[in-house]
Amino acid sequence: MFLKKLIGHEDREKEVIRDMDSHLRLLQDGCKAFHEAIERNDHARMRRVKELEREADTIRRDIVSHIYEGAFLPYLRPELSKFVELVDQVFDLLEYASACYLEIRFPDSLRSEAARVAFLNQEMCGMLRLTLQATTAGEDLREKRLAIRIYEKRIDDLKFGLMHDAKAIPVEDFWEGKTLSDFLSRLSSVSDVIEDASDHLGIISSIIK
Amino acid sequence: MWKILSGAFLGWSLGANDSANIFGTGVATGTVNYRTAVWLTAAFLMAGALLEGPKCMEVLNDLSSLLPLHAFFCALAAALTMTAMTALAVPASSSHAVVGAIVGVGLVSGSADLSPLIKIVTCWVLTPICGLVFGYLLLRALTFLFNRTHMSLTRRNRIYFLGILIAGCYGAYTLGSNNVANVTGVYVGSGLLTPRSASLIGGLAIALGVLTFSRRVMMTVGRGIAPLDPFTAFVTVLAGALSLHLFTQVGIPVSSSQAIVGAVVGVGLVGDVRTVSPRILVKIGLGWIVTPVSAGLLAWLFVVFLSGPWWFS
Repeated sequence: MFLKKLIGHEDREKEVIRDMDSHLRLLQDGCKAFHEAIERNDHARMRRVKELEREADTIRRDIVSHIYEGAFLPYLRPELSKFVELVDQVFDLLEYASACYLEIRFPDSLRSEAARVAFLNQEMCGMLRLTLQATTAGEDLREKRLAIRIYEKRIDDLKFGLMHDAKAIPVEDFWEGKTLSDFLSRLSSVSDVIEDASDHLGIISSIIK
Repeated sequence: MWKILSGAFLGWSLGANDSANIFGTGVATGTVNYRTAVWLTAAFLMAGALLEGPKCMEVLNDLSSLLPLHAFFCALAAALTMTAMTALAVPASSSHAVVGAIVGVGLVSGSADLSPLIKIVTCWVLTPICGLVFGYLLLRALTFLFNRTHMSLTRRNRIYFLGILIAGCYGAYTLGSNNVANVTGVYVGSGLLTPRSASLIGGLAIALGVLTFSRRVMMTVGRGIAPLDPFTAFVTVLAGALSLHLFTQVGIPVSSSQAIVGAVVGVGLVGDVRTVSPRILVKIGLGWIVTPVSAGLLAWLFVVFLSGPWWFS
């Protein structure tokens, strides 16, 4: 084990990084599917989010087990695992939101704003992936993290408008209203967790420097 | 030849105590596992003892002319003091214990020459200062270098791992070269051993201590002194090792604990961070004073009360 670590050429670490990138790529695909599904009211596309979440879950388990089998210095392991868990949390929010969407008749008056938030979430995921790539390449993260914060601010602004518009929708059935509320709440929380993940990359970058 | 048993005991005690300074931070940060750390320490320590060990033996023999029995008492007093310190999980200095014991015996027998003490004590005082200066300068220089070098996460991870490993091996080498004189140096002056055989026996005894009894102090040093990241852990061990190697060339056995504590403080100065908790510093400081005094007193008592009986004649 020790000799493997000594003479190995960062193979295990490179594998973890490859998996982390794949994990984020799946998240990006999930966000894209979610956005398109809202925009086109495409239920089949919305179901794809759940499939992607399952795939991502397998990758997450691989990453965590590789990390605890000895990839990277122990000092970094909890931080890398936490980042992966944050990405997984985004997937969970997305999956729950998609399940909610499939349960209700989504009001058309909210569609364009919800699609806009979903699109910004997708863009944020892309930026998070670039931030991860910059972290692993040892590059400066400031601009990328700033871009993520700007996206988050824009989503925050949209979020309040969305809540305001949602209040104007007449609710005839309790569960219909609750599910819509849950959908909106999960949709608007995605950006918060992506921002947390980006902050965590900043922490990882400072630790290794 | 039974008289070298106390030296072997001291070597074992030194290995158990001082090896913590080498891979303590590496083991505590989880960079190197305990088993790998102790085997590497033992191997490089032996190399240091055999290649440069005799350099520090001369000064101990200048302190006092020792009879073989007195040499036995010196090593025994130092060993018992070190064992007590280890049991209390205090990183103590074997150099202080041995010099204290030699002076104690020398005062009873009337053969003590205290003039080399000035050089010895000066080096003792300079040890933590040296560690501090090396720690500060190395961290500054390496940070400057690393900040200007573009490295991926995996490459940096590997460099830190190798850095801690290489610094640890070098630390073990310098510990062997500097501290083997503490273990068997007294027997060279009393004519029981040649410098080469003293280095071999001393090195083996220290290595045995590392392999069998070093875990507890290693954790105290690694976890208790400072929350170090891999980079500062590597710099700290390297700075401590450089200080120790410097004093080996001067020919004075010094405390590896002092060197490492100095290095930790030096590293902390760069980031203006308090790296050493005052409680641990007080504990270490207390050990520095108590160690030579108790070893000297114990050796004095051994000579006064045990030199006469028939079983030692």
